[in-house]
Amino acid sequence: MALTTAPDPTRRGTGSVRPDATRRGTGRIRHGEGLAGYVFLSPWLIGLMGITAIPMLLSLYLSFTNYDILTPFSEVQWVGLANYERMFTSDPSWWHSVRVTLSFALIAVPLKLAAALGVALLLNRAWRGVGLFRGLFYLPSLLGGSVALAIVWVNMFNRDGAFNSFLALFGIEGKPWVNDPDWALETLMVLAIWQFGAPMVIFLAGLKQVPTELYEAASVDGAGKFRQFVNVTLPMLSPVIFFNLVLETINGFQGFTAAFVLSNGTGGPVDSTLMYTLNLYITGFTDLEMGYASAMAWVFLIAIAIITAIFFSTGRFWVHYSDGEDR
Amino acid sequence: MHPATHPTVNAPDGRTYRTPLVRRRLLRGLLAAVVALPLVGAAAACGDDAASDGKTKISVFWWGGEARAQLTEQALDLYTQKNPDVVFEKTWQANQGYFDKLATLTAGGNPPDIFQIDDNYLTEYAARNTTLDLTPHQESGKVDTSKFPQSLWQYGVVDGQLAGLASGENTQGLVYNKTLLTKNGLPEPTTGMSWEEHIAWAEEVSKKTGVPGTMDASAVDKAFWVWLRQQGKDLYKGNDLGFTVEDVTRWFELWKDARDRGATPTPDVIHEGNATDITKQLVVTGKAATSWVWVNQMPELKKNTTDELGVIAYPGDPSGQWARASMYWSVFRGTKNADIAVDVINFLVNDPEAVKLLGTDRGLPSNLDLRRVVSDDTTDEAMKQSIAVETELAESFGESPQVPIKGHSKVRAELIKSAENAQYGRATPAEAAAQFVEACKAAIAS
Repeated sequence: MALTTAPDPTRRGTGSVRPDATRRGTGRIRHGEGLAGYVFLSPWLIGLMGITAIPMLLSLYLSFTNYDILTPFSEVQWVGLANYERMFTSDPSWWHSVRVTLSFALIAVPLKLAAALGVALLLNRAWRGVGLFRGLFYLPSLLGGSVALAIVWVNMFNRDGAFNSFLALFGIEGKPWVNDPDWALETLMVLAIWQFGAPMVIFLAGLKQVPTELYEAASVDGAGKFRQFVNVTLPMLSPVIFFNLVLETINGFQGFTAAFVLSNGTGGPVDSTLMYTLNLYITGFTDLEMGYASAMAWVFLIAIAIITAIFFSTGRFWVHYSDGEDR
Repeated sequence: MHPATHPTVNAPDGRTYRTPLVRRRLLRGLLAAVVALPLVGAAAACGDDAASDGKTKISVFWWGGEARAQLTEQALDLYTQKNPDVVFEKTWQANQGYFDKLATLTAGGNPPDIFQIDDNYLTEYAARNTTLDLTPHQESGKVDTSKFPQSLWQYGVVDGQLAGLASGENTQGLVYNKTLLTKNGLPEPTTGMSWEEHIAWAEEVSKKTGVPGTMDASAVDKAFWVWLRQQGKDLYKGNDLGFTVEDVTRWFELWKDARDRGATPTPDVIHEGNATDITKQLVVTGKAATSWVWVNQMPELKKNTTDELGVIAYPGDPSGQWARASMYWSVFRGTKNADIAVDVINFLVNDPEAVKLLGTDRGLPSNLDLRRVVSDDTTDEAMKQSIAVETELAESFGESPQVPIKGHSKVRAELIKSAENAQYGRATPAEAAAQFVEACKAAIAS
């Protein structure tokens, strides 16, 4: 969706390949070549149409119906805006899941980006064995949204889990983190923050691109390390920060796997981990209210689009592209 | 001369410029065909459920563990032996996610011919016309319920239609850790103790053994249901709730008192025990001396602990309990082979050999004659125990309630949520009860 329009963080003025450099002399696509192109594209194209585009449109239609999965399509009843009305006016658990998701994203995303940038700064040096550390820090992200990782996490933060044994070494009595409604969501946040590898690698790539002469010039002018970070690194890095911010925010909103595993698919204890997507899943597949769940999905899509649009509109105040006319 | 020729870096010398172009085109066509071919194949492979050799294929879907899978597969193989023209496509999976999968299969137009279902979902499916009405087959004798206790097969009737054939009978059971009690010289609980006596007993157990005496039952719908029946109420009455906010408040207060007295584990442990997974029942994980289960789960529970277990009825008047269909076999309404499917489910509950194979895994055999045979023949101690207890309790069973109405699965989830709100001290029993009743009304209205 909005992802495709995100700026390419690695794009820089001087080194980029001119798009017409690869084009052939005639500049025209011969007849028959276009067809072959589409045939080659067909697996992806059929996938896109069959798995994404058509189901999406269908779900838009279903969001105006009372579809319940078991009833055949032909008997589905049109209910107009009733699903949307119910969401905003008479469904406390919907509002609750919105709150849970917002607080998750508002806390986990900035912390994750800060952690990624911090570690990237540390690893952007010519230490011996720095490659190994980069690999190690990236590792948690490779395990990504995996169920296995979530299971390990749950066991680690149980009452008798490894984390509490660690706390006990210092004489601190732990909590049943994952089974405590006051802490379950926070445990999930920590899990999300810990998987900062992907933005970290992108930050690293961005840091590598900052010209060293800028730092030299800054230090000649008497700027200290902190000053250099604020006045050189951050502005030069802002397109990358923007890219990571957009991507991670969307990721944060869509968090599902860990919450599902931690709560056995219920959003418990006491709805404390009822993320939006999990609520949507329960509504659609457990409560069999697929029409209503479709409406929830569309509101979600629009909300994410709006948030992304807000990022883009504020971007011009703080994102600096070095290939602008000022260069 | 050939203005459009590709760069011919690798073209061999001494040939015309045309050859590589033609070859390239050919190669491209071939490649494209190779890429596209599997798609055509995949499209052609869809939607074919008749076996190639003139045999009829019946798909069967159930949830359960490894042991149940083996038994069920053997029983179905036995059917194929006797009816070589019928083969089965057997699919099974764990309890969690089963109904998600079943719903998705149904929506995708590819539902199994025969599926296992329980009273949490029977009405959801029957009310949406997903299950075949077995009544005509029952009348014609193709589905034989003559040896069933009447209340048992009637527990499969939804809106006047026989939507599911009881594949077994069970009833609520309070399982306790016998080893722990004898070691500490404590008395075993007995059927007929009141709820207050049970909690007082559990408090004593907690004090003497350090193991919490009883799992908190406030979030356990089957316990709440028995308790309601003992108060002269019910879970549902027609299409409405059979209880009031005051009833729920009293139920939640009963357990708040138990928690305050130290008779139960801490809320986070109770939360663990509220998961339906048998292996997580607190009595087998050693986190409580008693758990709220179904009697037919004894063999499975026994496999997860080395301690000796005992089982009795839930506290209060045992006539609050009833002969419940532990689960059903249902036939998909749109199946092309209804007659065969009906014959298969009849075979699974009425054929002596099949029933003997299946044992008490899905509950006590529904067919009373065969139940006697199975209980006489079994050598499994835990199975003997569940049969003995259930047979004993059967003498005091009350009348069966109506099958839970549409929205029941949501009601169960809401009970857990509200009860846990009270357990974690985030709401008073009265607040939690009001919240629960409101949520229930919304759940059964839609």
